Amino acid sequence: MQTLEIISVNLWQILISLCNLLIMFLIVKKFLYGPVKKVMTARQASIDAGYENAARAEADAEASRAAWEDKLATADATANAIVEKATVQAQHRADKIVAEAEEKADGMIRRAEENIALQEKKAEAAVRREIVDVSALLTEKMLRREIRSEDHRALIDDFIDEMGEN
Amino acid sequence: MTKKNRSFIALDVLLIVLTLLPIVAVLILKVLTNVPSEGISITGARVFFTLPLPLGGLPITESQINSAAVILSLFFLCLYMTHGIAERPNTRRQLLVEWVVEKTESMVSDSMGSFFAGYAPFIAAILALSALSSLMSLFGLYPPTSDINIVAGWAILVFILITYYKLKGGLGNYLKGFTEPIFIMTPLNILGEVATPVSMAFRHYGNVLSGSVIAVLIAAALQGLSSLLLGWLPGVFGEIPFLQIGLPAILSLYFDLFSGCMQAYIFAMLTMLNISGGFPEDEYERRRQKKLLKKQQKTKTND
Repeated sequence: MQTLEIISVNLWQILISLCNLLIMFLIVKKFLYGPVKKVMTARQASIDAGYENAARAEADAEASRAAWEDKLATADATANAIVEKATVQAQHRADKIVAEAEEKADGMIRRAEENIALQEKKAEAAVRREIVDVSALLTEKMLRREIRSEDHRALIDDFIDEMGEN
Repeated sequence: MTKKNRSFIALDVLLIVLTLLPIVAVLILKVLTNVPSEGISITGARVFFTLPLPLGGLPITESQINSAAVILSLFFLCLYMTHGIAERPNTRRQLLVEWVVEKTESMVSDSMGSFFAGYAPFIAAILALSALSSLMSLFGLYPPTSDINIVAGWAILVFILITYYKLKGGLGNYLKGFTEPIFIMTPLNILGEVATPVSMAFRHYGNVLSGSVIAVLIAAALQGLSSLLLGWLPGVFGEIPFLQIGLPAILSLYFDLFSGCMQAYIFAMLTMLNISGGFPEDEYERRRQKKLLKKQQKTKTND
């Protein structure tokens, strides 16, 4: 079999070798770097997205925590205000009720006194009427009997005594 | 899931087989066509046949076939390494391939600057092609890098790139660079410009070839020594070169493995330094700004 000399320059071989290196470059670029870079870029993107999400979630949590702390701080004050307001209202209402009750009681007492006064008046009128009736009866009786002056006097005295005793 | 798994594994195995197949094929070709030679012979690549072309014809040699085998093998290796890579790495090979990509990219941007960051695949291609070509001698195959034509082709491509980036600073600037520091230096500068690819090619080629030459010489010397010292042994024992056991393997470790990888690294390093070193970045930037300004003025006048 033929062999080349140790140093034998051939233009075609040089050209083919040059093209071979170019082909090798294209192969490495397309089939090694292409897919690997694609995967690495995708991974970098998803990592970035993850960090962004985490940062956003942290910010959200921080914001809601601050809001809750604010609310908690004001809650005591609000509760105190509510209780105070309720107390004042209750006091007010109680006062009102007591005042109303006193007024009512006063009214009732006044009416009762009026009633009593009326009854007294009525009773007086009735007594008077009785006295007149009894006087008339006595007069009748006296007129039917033989009128004697002593008797008469004695009778009326008795009667009046009786009346006074009653 | 299992079906998908099975097809995944099947494709994996297929790709591994296809990666090894070109190397095995050239090995078989070598075994089938090898003619044992008498004595020491240091020759170039063997020629299978010659295509009739102008300029001396194209001999299809071992180096041609071996480099084609290397390229095919590396192509399938790329496919295997990137097979099944996902956003969340779940295979060891993905970690490896990502490490390789990141390492070459950081190496390129460290020594060439960020302007040349896209050169990572090119440098990786040089590294892989050169290293694997040299490592073919581990299998007893003819390493294509010990053929001057192969390495010269790469060096010329690098020279074209160097000149292309030098011309980015403008033709006048490029030509003016030859007359510096003084006018008399022009011939030397031109010589220096041409010397870059030549020295790159010869350094790589010479290192790999010298390894082969030394291996042949050592093997021959050991054979002679062996027959001299152990020739008195009876029968066939006297003809076995016992001293060839061991020492050539250690030498091969240096000349094939270490030197092969070293030369690939040196070639890649020189490529990076020469391309980025010749690039007149300030001048390029200045011209670019000027062009932008001109364009803006043009659009303004059009408005």
